[in-house]
Amino acid sequence: MARTSRTPGAESAGKYRRNLFSWVMLTPGLIFLGVFLAVPFLLLFVISFRDVDNWMNMLPTYSLNQYIEVFTSRFYLHMIWTTLWVAVVTTVICIVLAYPAAYLLVRAPNRAVRTALYVILVSPLLTSVVIRTFAWIVLLAQNGLVNEVLMKLALISEPLRLLWNLNAVIIAYVQVMLPFAVLPIATSMGEIDPRLRQASMSLGAGRLRTFWKVTLPLTIPGMMSGAIIVFSLAAGSYITPLLVGGRLQPLLPLAIYQQVLQVANLPLGAAMSITLLLLVGVLVAGMGLILRRWEGRLHG
Amino acid sequence: MSHIVLRNISRRFGANWALKQVNLEVREGEFFSLLGPSGCGKTTLLNIIAGFLEPTTGEVHIGGRDITGLPPYRRDIGMVFQNYALFPHLNVFENIAYGLKIRKMKKADIAARVEQCLAAVRLEGFAERMPHQLSGGQQQRVAIARALATEPKVLLLDEPLSNLDAKLRKEMQTELRSLQRRVGITTILVTHDQEEALSLSDRIGILGDGELKQVGTPLEIYRRPANRFVAEFIGQVNLIEAQALPGADRPPGTLAFAARGHFVASGEPLRLYAAEHPSLAGRESVLFMLRPERIRLSPAPLGGAAGGVELRIESVVYAGSAVRIAGVLPGGGELVALAADPSFPVLPEPGAVMYASWEPGDLIPIE
Amino acid sequence: MADRTNLKETGAAVRRRRRFDGWTLLAWIAGGAVYLFLVVPVLVIILSAFSPNPYPEFPPTEFSLRWFREVFQSEPWMRAIGFSLWLMVIVTVLTVVLGTTAAYGISRLEFRGKQALLSFMLSPLMIPQVVMGIALLYIFTAMGIIRTMAGLVIGHIIVSFPYVIRTVGVSLSNLDPKLERASMNLGAGPVQTFFRITLPLIRPGIVAGGVFSAVTSFGEVSISLFVVSPSNMTVPVRIFNYIDQTFDPSVNAISVIFIAVAVLALIIIERTIGLTKVM
Repeated sequence: MARTSRTPGAESAGKYRRNLFSWVMLTPGLIFLGVFLAVPFLLLFVISFRDVDNWMNMLPTYSLNQYIEVFTSRFYLHMIWTTLWVAVVTTVICIVLAYPAAYLLVRAPNRAVRTALYVILVSPLLTSVVIRTFAWIVLLAQNGLVNEVLMKLALISEPLRLLWNLNAVIIAYVQVMLPFAVLPIATSMGEIDPRLRQASMSLGAGRLRTFWKVTLPLTIPGMMSGAIIVFSLAAGSYITPLLVGGRLQPLLPLAIYQQVLQVANLPLGAAMSITLLLLVGVLVAGMGLILRRWEGRLHG
Repeated sequence: MSHIVLRNISRRFGANWALKQVNLEVREGEFFSLLGPSGCGKTTLLNIIAGFLEPTTGEVHIGGRDITGLPPYRRDIGMVFQNYALFPHLNVFENIAYGLKIRKMKKADIAARVEQCLAAVRLEGFAERMPHQLSGGQQQRVAIARALATEPKVLLLDEPLSNLDAKLRKEMQTELRSLQRRVGITTILVTHDQEEALSLSDRIGILGDGELKQVGTPLEIYRRPANRFVAEFIGQVNLIEAQALPGADRPPGTLAFAARGHFVASGEPLRLYAAEHPSLAGRESVLFMLRPERIRLSPAPLGGAAGGVELRIESVVYAGSAVRIAGVLPGGGELVALAADPSFPVLPEPGAVMYASWEPGDLIPIE
Repeated sequence: MADRTNLKETGAAVRRRRRFDGWTLLAWIAGGAVYLFLVVPVLVIILSAFSPNPYPEFPPTEFSLRWFREVFQSEPWMRAIGFSLWLMVIVTVLTVVLGTTAAYGISRLEFRGKQALLSFMLSPLMIPQVVMGIALLYIFTAMGIIRTMAGLVIGHIIVSFPYVIRTVGVSLSNLDPKLERASMNLGAGPVQTFFRITLPLIRPGIVAGGVFSAVTSFGEVSISLFVVSPSNMTVPVRIFNYIDQTFDPSVNAISVIFIAVAVLALIIIERTIGLTKVM
């Protein structure tokens, strides 16, 4: 029993050994993320202040020129505005559609139905975004399925131009990101004590009013965490807009992709990246604040 | 006006019948308790009255109106839930005002009414608190105030006190009862706590296996249980099966019986004398109930017809105000007695022999 | 028991359960429509993959494995698939090791800024992918590993890392801390305790994290596009280039393979840790 002796020295020595071991375990991951996540972003930040010559070669000077270009040109301001607008619209549509979907998931009559709904919700998350987007090209192309069906039904006489615009981007975004909104809302909904709804009804509130006054406020945590994920994804993706919207859509991620890989203006691309990162960061932090405020109100 | 009538209520879940043919009438202004072990169907019955469940068969009437098909929000029933079900995102005022706002009451009237309800449950000054800032007892009071704020016709209480500790529960029982008397609202309490039901109710309905086993005042239920289920469920009980001895000697005004499982000596059944009762007339075999607190124990046999039965003490459990003593008869068969604390200067030891006696009127025939 | 007389009425009083009221019905219809919206694109791909025609048609007329044959006979596609699988294995192994150790370390330590550090470790989930891509492009260029396998591996690890942290974190928080204390009380040191007690008990979380890493790596395109070399392309990058430039129906067949992988991954996750817990 010598090893388990309860002297303070032995105890703190044991604790020290455990903590040392935990730090040893944590360190490789931390070093990895430090080198390949923190350093790259620092580098990105530094580069965004560099100047370029006419051949896009980086000059050794530092200035705010890239940011000045981003925030004074009508073109880029419009682009920032459109990016945020598309992200907000996508988020709102996702949240609105997520409620009935989450309702079905929570109220599924049996395990088999619930599992089927889960598979529909989660399998897209495990499939490459290229493939999910590709499906929308197949559907929305000039000779795609939607046009074919509409023509067969004689609702239209010539194919509609469904691809290559922001609506197509939003439709594809909503389908790709909807599960991220449904899952947290469903979790919130499942955690509501059914007796709260019963209490509301016993006090005279019908189903619709019970939804507005009890279910909706109590699912705000799920709604906000869903909104945070959907918004940050919708503001930062470039694959989907590139494939269904085309290269010319005024979206910041697309422009960054082109500045870097095609124009090769690295500092401008970096400045736009930092701008995008900060915009998303500030809005996400704001939503996070609302979330915490609300949870504080609920649970103290 | 607001009496409740349940007619032939049955409810099936899958292949199981949770309720079978329940018929019940709760009178206007009455405090009625539904008492039963867990799984007996009492919560199902409450949910059917509240409208959260539809009965498979039968009708619910309140104040003479058939409300069976009405959704819960049209029934005008106040309900207090086991965990109180206070809306966590609303403060005390908003919780109590919830039903009033839905009834489109004027703002000033709402404020006055909430104030009045808070006063009734002695929570003045708590209007701005959030539910999580309240103690269990305070949450309980808010839940009651919220249920009464809209002046419903009927108040349903679903095990409202079971989450409180013993001392607080006693206080809340008294308070609940006096509040109910003042408001005069027809009330149904669902509980598995028999003491609570006995002490609070005007009448009690005992539910078991989905059936209503007996309805009566607390006194009737305790003293005259209608059947074995009720006798065994309420309080402690000695059950003695016995066979009539029509020709035997007996004290006047009694009938003689021979017990089946209790013997005063090997092979010699315990002789019982029960007070004459219409239900005993001409019966061959009877099940008698003998409450433990009706048995007197004495160190020496008493004279007289009731005599005393020799009892070898098996166990003595001291519980403060009462002593529970179990013993066996010389020829086999167990009896349990409950004596008040002062009856013994010194507690009997296991193994000691005492003499048990009771009055003929203490033997209650069942079924 | 006054009114037992009514027993015979029951036959007439049998009532059907209340039908759906309007709002509930509406919610079910709307919910059904949403699931339809989610599932239709997937069905369309599957339908197209088994059709002999280059363009999808509805309703389908013929069944054919033509596009699968073309994929399996195409040398570049098969090379891309081989490369993607190889990459997936390396990434999964490394991410699981790095992620599990880090998740264990952080869960057993208490220090100021722990929450911030955890947010940092999970941040790749939230950072705009395009920004992540160019940040890695710059650093890899500076380090001279741009367009190499190493760069691709590092990029994939970074985006898979948060999933392992989360799944292993869930397993660790479900672990009864008394078990580790009991082990140490019996004389095992922290290392022994980790390998003999903790590791076997959090295996479901590790497996689920590995599955997430694998599917993330297998499907990753946003970062890969910035750092990949044209001679060694992953399948999603190749698909991207194909869709972007031409229309090749064999992409349908490849997609079906991806969907099958996703469903397989789902089954493994459900069997190990349960879907509801990690999502």
